[in-house]
This record gives sequence, structure tokens and C-alpha cells, in this order.
Amino acid sequence: MSRKTERLVNLTIALLATKRYITKSEIFRTVDGYEGTAESKERMFERDKDDLRNLGIEIEVGSFDPLFEDEAGYRIKPDSYQFQLGAVSSQEISLLSLAAEAWRGAALDGSALTALRKLHAIGIESDIESIPDLAPHANIRDENLQVAISAITSRQKITFKYLSEELTEQERKIAPYAVTSRYGHWYLYGFDLEKLAIRSFRLDRISGDIASEGKSGSFEVDKGFDLSSLSKGGEEVRSASIYLRTGRAIALRSRSKPSSTKSAIAGWDLVELSFRDQERFIEEVLWYGDDAIVVEPKGIREEIVKRLELGVKRYG
Amino acid sequence: MAKQATSPIAKTARLLDLVPFITTHQGISINDLAKEFAITPDELLDDLNTLWMCGLPGYTPLELIDLSFESGYVSIRNAEILQKVRLLTKEELVVIAIGLDFLKESVSKDREDLLEAINSLQEKIKSLIGDIAQVTPTVDSAHRAIILRALKERKNLEIEYHSLIRDQITKRVVTPLELGEDKGIEVLLAYCSTATGFRTFRLDNVKQTKLLDGSDFVAESKNGGDEIFRAKCRVNSRLRTTFERFRLEADMAASSGLSSGEGITVEVTSFSQDWLVRNFMSTLANTEITEPAGLAKSVGAKAQSTLELYKNGHFSS
Repeated sequence: MSRKTERLVNLTIALLATKRYITKSEIFRTVDGYEGTAESKERMFERDKDDLRNLGIEIEVGSFDPLFEDEAGYRIKPDSYQFQLGAVSSQEISLLSLAAEAWRGAALDGSALTALRKLHAIGIESDIESIPDLAPHANIRDENLQVAISAITSRQKITFKYLSEELTEQERKIAPYAVTSRYGHWYLYGFDLEKLAIRSFRLDRISGDIASEGKSGSFEVDKGFDLSSLSKGGEEVRSASIYLRTGRAIALRSRSKPSSTKSAIAGWDLVELSFRDQERFIEEVLWYGDDAIVVEPKGIREEIVKRLELGVKRYG
Repeated sequence: MAKQATSPIAKTARLLDLVPFITTHQGISINDLAKEFAITPDELLDDLNTLWMCGLPGYTPLELIDLSFESGYVSIRNAEILQKVRLLTKEELVVIAIGLDFLKESVSKDREDLLEAINSLQEKIKSLIGDIAQVTPTVDSAHRAIILRALKERKNLEIEYHSLIRDQITKRVVTPLELGEDKGIEVLLAYCSTATGFRTFRLDNVKQTKLLDGSDFVAESKNGGDEIFRAKCRVNSRLRTTFERFRLEADMAASSGLSSGEGITVEVTSFSQDWLVRNFMSTLANTEITEPAGLAKSVGAKAQSTLELYKNGHFSS
């Protein structure tokens, strides 16, 4: 096992040290660890290239003389090997490290750990004094998040089973584009390869494991894709006029603004609230029962009355 | 953190990262170095012995990496080729980008220097991997930091807590016991002096935190006197949303023998009767309580008093 590790390290050193492309036969002759028949050396080398690529190490292929079709050569450009965020200050090191620390014990702690090591290896003491006492934490252990992010960064298609509103599982196949987290839920965005449109999926509604399919680099992200505008939600913003009992319905109140018309009822405030999803809005208003009374829009008011009448009939 | 699987690939990555780390930390002790890389000292020695065999083609002592660690302290020479810190992989960049999002929300507005530094780092990362992750945290990292300090220093906290069930924001003095998780939501378990009992606080509803000097003695174990309220109901529509609302597992639907059109009968539980009433009000269109009758009656009364306000001419435009 450590023979393979040794060979990979030696190959990396040889390809990094060279200023010119070196050929496969040179590699087999000079780099320690390539043994066996020509064929098995070939196979070994192909696997090693893939393994290094998985570590983020890109091997560049070129030839000595572009005018002649001679044997291809290989090397690793130092620029594509080394830390790419440039010179960083001690304050930046603290911020980057603290950001990675957010994943301790969470879904992506493997990547966080290797990132932290690299940051520490830079050898700049972090300037933790200069930043306030913050303890960020990514409260998610769902392993699908890691699979999704890895598929996004390598542009690999994925399939999974998704729970519908009827609680049935639907097979989905998407080209994954991005992840977001809002209101404590994680969402996966991607191009749905059957519906042929951008769709979002709540991660905890994916049942079972996400499986990646095919090769990496198997799709291009749609040029029109804009995460910022999508993550704000697709539906248009509507406005409601609503009476809130003074001092009550705190969560609704904190999102509202005072109405232009003054409340005519003592002990009640008239406010304006924006909402997108009508159903969710009705459910939230009903949560506050007789502390929140919708005036406008008429359609929503009627719907709420209908539900209340049903409740009185059923339970009264 | 999770221990790295020691596949040859993972080990290779570690060796490549060890070189620049030792280069900037010459003379570091074996124990400290092992801790930094989250491995045992024995695993580290194995790594160092492998690294010792590596170098430039030729592999004479002139070309090999020169390591010394017999003394228990590690130093490295002749490793110039590998001494640059490796680039961050795309996955590592995503991890950091999301972490920066978490931080940004908790930095106070008067720390413009920090906000600027975070923004510029995020821009740099975006230029490398694109705009592929955006996160809005629900819990303030500054509040979490204060809670962690209170736990560590065994101090009391004053918190401002927004209870959605009581629809109230209250100031409370609590003795924190532990940070935990309840169905995916971060919670603080604490003894609440204000309520004189053990309480669970959702971190996303903690609005303010202040470290106090004193500390109260708290019995080690939580008293098990909490009453659990149970109800049976039929969920007729909007199944997934309603299941999520009542924190039911989706596979309960399968085991309950769902036949189309009939809805699914489930049992819901809570420590709070109010929570049940409010949730059944929210889902009047989708759920039907079958028992207990008392709960159905409370929901009916709430619906009645709300309906009366809607029928009252004052509350219309």
C-alpha cells in the first residue's frame, strides 16, 4: 500500500520539478515504482494520473515540438499545484480557518479538515484577536450534501428519489448547479433532465442516497442560471393588509410595515405584509388564530373564513 | 472530525500536505504534528518513513527528502519541490465559501474591515468555482459563541427568547447544560431560573445572549416530569408539508397502509398542548383530529373565536 503512495509522491515530485514535458518512457525509466510489463506500467500510470486529479493535481499533457507528432509529454505546472488564493494576511487566515471550522462534526468535515491543514501549513499565525468571538456551525450531517457538492464541482449528473407532496417517491435526474440554505433547510438547484427546466429540491426530501452518473465534466451550466435571483424564490411577491392584536403575532409583526391607513380598532394594529406562497401564508396566519385577521386580499380572507367554518363545524 | 480513511490516495494527500507544514513548523513535536493531521503518532511515523523514501529521480541521498524525527521532534530538508502549500480543491473552496456566509451574518456592521475582508475572499473564491453556494444562517454565530463560553466556564446566561408557541419574547436567566439537536434544529438544554425548570430553547429563536457572572447549582439529571401530549389525526392532503410540520417521518405513511383518497392516520406528540392547537389551526384544511376530544374542542373554540372576528364588521375594509 505504501508502495503506491510512494510512487504517487515521487511522480508528483518528478512532474513538478521538470521545466519541460517528460515522456512516459522517461517516467517509467526514472520514477521509482513503475515495474512489470510495458502494459502494466501503462495501466499503473493511467490510474496514477486519475488519482492525482482526484486530489486536485492537474497533469498537463503537451509535446516537445508542436510541429511534429512526437511522443506526448507530461508535467505539473507549479501554478496549478500551489495554493491559489495568493498572499493572505493573518486576519484572512483567521477568517478562512474559522469558516472551515464551521464544518466540524458536520457533513463536509473531511474537506474542512484538509482545508484547515493547508491553511495552517502556510505558516502565518492566525490573528484571532482581531476578530470577534464567533462560533459558526453548519448544522447538517446529511451525507447527500457532500455527494451533491462534489457532483456540482465536477459537473457530474446525479439521480435520486424525491418525495412528492403526496409522499410518493419520484425518480429524478438532474445536472446539479448549486446548493443554498435558507430558514434552516438545504436546497439543491439543478437542471432537471426530464422536465428540461431548472428545479430546486429540499435536501431532506431526497429519500435514500444521491447517486452520481457518468463522467465528470458531462454538462455545462446554463448561462442564464443566476443563483441570487433564484434563491429568492420563484413566485411573485404579493401584499396583504392584516390586523394584528397589539403585542401579539410577533413573527408576523417583525416582517411587517405599518399600513398607510390607521387602525380604527383599539388594541389592534393594521399592517402590511408581503408574502409569496399563498398556502404557506394562510397557514401562518391561522397559527395566530384570533390574534391575526386578514383584510386584504379578499380571496385569502374568504379562504381563511371557509377553513374556520370547517373547523367550527367539525370540532365545535 | 471524522478520521481520514487511509487509502493510498488519502495517504498521498497527507504526505504532500505534511511537507509544507513541517517546513513552516520546523522542530514540531511528533505528538503535535499527529494531532494537527488527526492521526495517531504511529500513523505519523509510518507517513514520515514513507516520505523519507521519496525524492527526485535518481533517489540518491542528494535527491531524497531529508527528514529527522528520531528525537521526537520533526524537521525537514531538501524538499523544496513540495514545500509550496497545495491548492485548495473545489470542494474545500465550497466548504470555506459557505463558512464565510455563516460568519458574515454575525459580524456587526461597525466592523467594516472584517466585512470587507470576507467579501473580498468570497469574490476570490467565486472567481475560481463560480456562484454555486449561498447560505443564510438561522443561528447567529455570535450567540452560539457566547453560549459555548457559558458552557465552558460554567456560567449563567441571560437570554432573550422568542417562543413561537406562546407568541412572546421573554428575558430569562438560564444555566446552560448542553447544546444539542432536536429533529435537525439546534437546541440549548438549560435550567431556566425564570421558569424554575429544565427547558429546551431553539437556537434560532434566541434573540440576545449575555454572559452572567454567577452560576447556579443544577442537579445532574433532567427531571422526567414533562408531560407529553398525544393526538391522533387523519392527514388528508398536502401530506409532505403537513408531515414536516408535525415532524413526522415520511416512512410512517408507508407503514400506515395508505389507501388512496382516505388520507393517512397518524399519531402526533408534543410537550405543548398549545403547539398542537396552533398546528391544527394552521392545517384546518388538511387534517382532522380523531382524538382526544378535548384537543378537538380547543381547536374548535379557537376557530370559533377567530371566525367571530372575521364576521365582525370592524375587521373588514
